[in-house]
Amino acid sequence: MALLEIDDIHVFYDNIQALKGISLDVEANRIVTLVGGNGAGKSTTLRAISGLLHPRQGAIRYDGRPLAGLGAHDIAAMGLVHVPEGRRIFGRLTVDENLLMGAFTRRDRKAIAEDKERMMTLFPRLRERLRQVAGTLSGGEQQMVATARAMMARPRLLLMDEPSMGLAPMVVEQVFETIQAINAQGVTILLVEQNALMALTIADQGYVLESGEIVLSGPGRDLIDDERVRQAYLG
Amino acid sequence: MIRTAIVRGLLFGAVGLHLAVVGVLLMLHQRWIIIDTISLGQAVLVLLAIGAGVMAAPTNAPEAPPARLLFGLIAGAAASLPLAALMVAMDLVRLQAVFIALSHDLFEMLSFDLGDFLGVLALIGGGAVGGLAGAVLQHTPPGIRRAVIAGAAAVVVAGVFQELIQLMLQFEGLIGDIRDFFYTWEGLSPQGAAVVFAITAIVSQVRSAASRRNQAALTDQQRQRQRMIRALLCLAGLAVLPALAGSYIGQVLMLVGLFILMGMCLNLDVGLAGLLDLGFVAFFAVGAYATALLTADNPHALLHLSYWAAMPIAVLLSICMGVIFGIPVLGVRGDYLAVATMGLGEIVRVIVLSDFASPLLGGAQGLLQIPKPALGGFTLGSPVSLFYLTLVASGVAAFVAWRLENSRLGRAWMALRDDEDVAQALGINLIRSKLMAYGLGAAFAGLAGSIFAVMLGSVYPSSFQLLISINVLALIIVGGMGSLPGVALGSIALIGLPELLREFGEYRYLFYGAVLIIMMRLRPEGLWPSEARRRELHGSDESLALDAGSDLLPAQRT
Repeated sequence: MALLEIDDIHVFYDNIQALKGISLDVEANRIVTLVGGNGAGKSTTLRAISGLLHPRQGAIRYDGRPLAGLGAHDIAAMGLVHVPEGRRIFGRLTVDENLLMGAFTRRDRKAIAEDKERMMTLFPRLRERLRQVAGTLSGGEQQMVATARAMMARPRLLLMDEPSMGLAPMVVEQVFETIQAINAQGVTILLVEQNALMALTIADQGYVLESGEIVLSGPGRDLIDDERVRQAYLG
Repeated sequence: MIRTAIVRGLLFGAVGLHLAVVGVLLMLHQRWIIIDTISLGQAVLVLLAIGAGVMAAPTNAPEAPPARLLFGLIAGAAASLPLAALMVAMDLVRLQAVFIALSHDLFEMLSFDLGDFLGVLALIGGGAVGGLAGAVLQHTPPGIRRAVIAGAAAVVVAGVFQELIQLMLQFEGLIGDIRDFFYTWEGLSPQGAAVVFAITAIVSQVRSAASRRNQAALTDQQRQRQRMIRALLCLAGLAVLPALAGSYIGQVLMLVGLFILMGMCLNLDVGLAGLLDLGFVAFFAVGAYATALLTADNPHALLHLSYWAAMPIAVLLSICMGVIFGIPVLGVRGDYLAVATMGLGEIVRVIVLSDFASPLLGGAQGLLQIPKPALGGFTLGSPVSLFYLTLVASGVAAFVAWRLENSRLGRAWMALRDDEDVAQALGINLIRSKLMAYGLGAAFAGLAGSIFAVMLGSVYPSSFQLLISINVLALIIVGGMGSLPGVALGSIALIGLPELLREFGEYRYLFYGAVLIIMMRLRPEGLWPSEARRRELHGSDESLALDAGSDLLPAQRT
């Protein structure tokens, strides 16, 4: 049984259908990626999984449990954590406070402190910035904060929405290295990306989304070689 | 640049012209600062000329210092030109038919009683001297400048509040003699003003020298402790003052205390949770009416409980109202929330006035004869004792607010304020946290309302206008969002001062607006900002310096 199973979900924004029956599986300990153009429904899928949107039809099961009817905060408490698009950090809080917010559902102070230390090792840059207001950080640093904050929740499944958006090419490479490092620690990752080549390169499994429907799926490597994917996304 | 000097001078002159036309100038002229020497109105004119001089002679101007002083002179003269033109116009045409403030008294004030021609010359000459003084001030060493400004400010305060200070010094003997030295019956005496100026200037000089010596050696923690001590001293002063100052000041302070209490709870909503709640006055009304219904000696009252039994019930009812109000606006954010809550706030007042509710709540006639609370055998009847009641309540509110700031709930609020979606995705319960914020804000507003009811001894629907919500919001903005001492300072500045300067009451909201605009331009973080606010508004410069070259693309602010 997969860690996350999505079974034919339909999501609407008022009367506009954004997802037209999406089904996908995320196996534990894998990196799974969702690629596709603007408006294909990638972010909508993630928002539906994390409970910020509610599908009108279909089911989402996490660890065998249906998520229908649960609030976003309940889902987060189950270890399914969403890193939203656009590095949405708490701009007016310090980096330190941002990280603590990530551990909001946890009460084990000692382990939280240890995890913070681990994040500092993963992102040495954040150690220097700990007392700084997060809104004043550079783009790459803000992405680090967003990722580290999500990790502070000790997620089993991390939903990452466009972590490379708006970053310099060198920083993008670091971001993808970090994703692999996090995955190596046993965190399952569902990654949404416009940078299809990079995403498919590190992914075990990939899905291609077009106008709210999945048009292709398969192991990441295979998709890179697929003629249709090459033409549409890789140029 | 002579042109900029003239333009800046004229700008300041335009302010003076405006003040004259709307009548503020003449009103300020009624109050002496130094008896028979300078009035508050004249002081404002002098200040405008000095301001023009300061602005026209910046220390980094390319010209040599003597030229800059000339610019100051010109700017000062330019600043008095619009008023001089007004005088000429008043001499030629009867302007009072259009602007009632342009009376003969104003003309006499502007001309120093010297007639038309000499008067105009005197005004322009005076402006030039003021501008020169401003330019000179700009070029004196900062230590001396600070001393002069402090001295002048002290003289103004001692002069403007002479009535109050004299009231406090109503003793025979030595204190009486001191009082007679400084004050005549109507204002500060010239020798008194000179002594006040000299003492304040010397003290500020000594203090700044001492603090400069110390400041370098202080760590952040010590500095923070110093600030804490200063805040505590202010509080202690606030606590002792009314007992000494008698019932007039007691009355003013009682009102100040009430607004401090309300400011603290709105601070929770707006400062921490980011919920711009303008329906705040509704909970204030619920607290007041509940207290009235439960304790009053009139036919509408439901029960005749003691105040101490009625207050918790009133607070509880307010909390319920807060939660009930909170539910429909849960999904509303930002400006829309302000509008929605504003509507909810008005609903309460309209319901009280309605035919349906007036048999129960007294309608426009209100509920009368609310007894004063008693503590043991002692009745808290005087304004001073009620002030202490508000002080205790504010203390409780401050403690709660302070504890909340660093709690889980406080952090959840701050996270929701910054980004609701992310906060939820991290496990924060949006509904519960928001309702807690509304409920808690309402609780303290209800408490304030309950005190308000016994303070006046009666409640009327007209006491619960939207203006109260706006006043409270304005005082936390002026004081400093999210800062507890800031609330106290804002309340003294916006509620206390207008009460003390009653005769200016007509122009209260004009000053209000001006103060708000000036604050937003010059000090958006408030008079006494919280650490976090200061970071937000001024932290970016220092981090940019740290940041140079860290990454090619700057952060996108979303």
